Amino acid sequence: MSFTRRELPTIILTACGVLMLLAFFTPFVAFTTIKGTLTAWTIVISATSTWLGFAYMSYAQYRMLQRNPVLTQKIYFVTPFAFFLLFLVVGVSFPGDVSSPQYLWLLSSIYQQVGATVYAVMFFTLASSAYRTFTVASTEAVALLLGGTIYMLRQIPLFPAFAPWLVPLGEWILLVPNVGGGRGAVICAALAALVVGIRTLWGREITMVEV
Amino acid sequence: MMIRIGTYFDLILLIVLVAASWYYMNKALRGEKLPGLRKIPAIDAIMEGVGRSIEANKPVHYAMGASGGQLYSTLVSMTLTAIAMLRHISRLCARLGARLIVHMPYQAESIPLIEATAREGYLEEGKPEMFRLEDLRYYGQGSLTWSQGITSSFAQEGVGLNLEVGIFYSDCPISLEMAKIMGGLNVGGTGRWIMVYAFAMMCDYVFLGEEIYAAGAIVSENPLMMSGIIIEEVGKFFVFLLIAIGLILAAIGLDMGTIFSY
Repeated sequence: MSFTRRELPTIILTACGVLMLLAFFTPFVAFTTIKGTLTAWTIVISATSTWLGFAYMSYAQYRMLQRNPVLTQKIYFVTPFAFFLLFLVVGVSFPGDVSSPQYLWLLSSIYQQVGATVYAVMFFTLASSAYRTFTVASTEAVALLLGGTIYMLRQIPLFPAFAPWLVPLGEWILLVPNVGGGRGAVICAALAALVVGIRTLWGREITMVEV
Repeated sequence: MMIRIGTYFDLILLIVLVAASWYYMNKALRGEKLPGLRKIPAIDAIMEGVGRSIEANKPVHYAMGASGGQLYSTLVSMTLTAIAMLRHISRLCARLGARLIVHMPYQAESIPLIEATAREGYLEEGKPEMFRLEDLRYYGQGSLTWSQGITSSFAQEGVGLNLEVGIFYSDCPISLEMAKIMGGLNVGGTGRWIMVYAFAMMCDYVFLGEEIYAAGAIVSENPLMMSGIIIEEVGKFFVFLLIAIGLILAAIGLDMGTIFSY
């Protein structure tokens, strides 16, 4: 039990990882071919496991309905399955399958519209959080407010017309402190990610071996 | 040529980190003392948030991002860190008696890992009966459905603590701010620098960039995991050395870019 649950997955993982590293660092075609095959397998795994997600979603919906059998919950329960069936039936019934005009109509008239609506909510969430963040409550908040205000004014054509110095100052904020800080953070995060990767290939990552 | 041209520098960096890993992981395995780590306020805030959830009789929400279940991309280390954090929060919820709702990413292949980790947290605390499979929520493909699912869960079931650690794209501004509007305590962070702004703006306590990896190691309470932070410091000193060499070379008129093109 321990071997199949701990050692075997670690061996497979390390072998795949080493093959990927060899494909990256060496010019041999054999490793590139193996990398291509392994990458293709990930698509297969991803596609088949979608049904696992569907099973989890169905179970959670069913249990929530059991716990709270009111009309609203019944509507919540039925809606996802109704739309699932609608898209499935339309997707396989017309010539062209998922490229058929009927399916594309569903996609553009329902799915994409709902998506656009949800993402429009982001405008309100960003506005309310920006208001909270720019409240001057500390020295850091003052620095953030100043930097943000200068750059925002630089972006509005009216203000640089009256204060031309906003343009180089705004550019300086964008290209010097912003890029410098960002690169430092990216390098640190990349190093940390590398360390986690090495530990995983070594079979010492507890999130992978203890489960 | 055995080594592909253009990867020499990457190989040197990898060798440095592998050597440091070998040295410090062995040190940790031998039980030798490692340098101390500073406290990260966001870790203490998790405990505070769980307590607050129990007092308010509201659930704890955990999310690792709509696309936070990546097991074969360059971001896989963030997924593993998010899994380490899931283990911590599930243990904490089991110990203190809070209800935990996990909003799973759309990469369904990561579901077995997520379920096993959450279940293990309850088992470790001796309360397997508290684990509820229906509290592992899956919302289908794409971040659109995920954002809708998580926000509707906040609205219907309430939110005491909202912990979000992992891979986030444009999904986090919606979920974080909605949790805040619903009166929840937001704690979280991502290693994706481009989205750190959202966490800095919307979270009460934030893990800034690489801090998520440090936090994952600290909450694991495992010396081997904590040695990873020291190994990362070795990498940082190596980068500082490269910057110093680059400055000297630039001062004498040599282009470092040409050297590293090999």
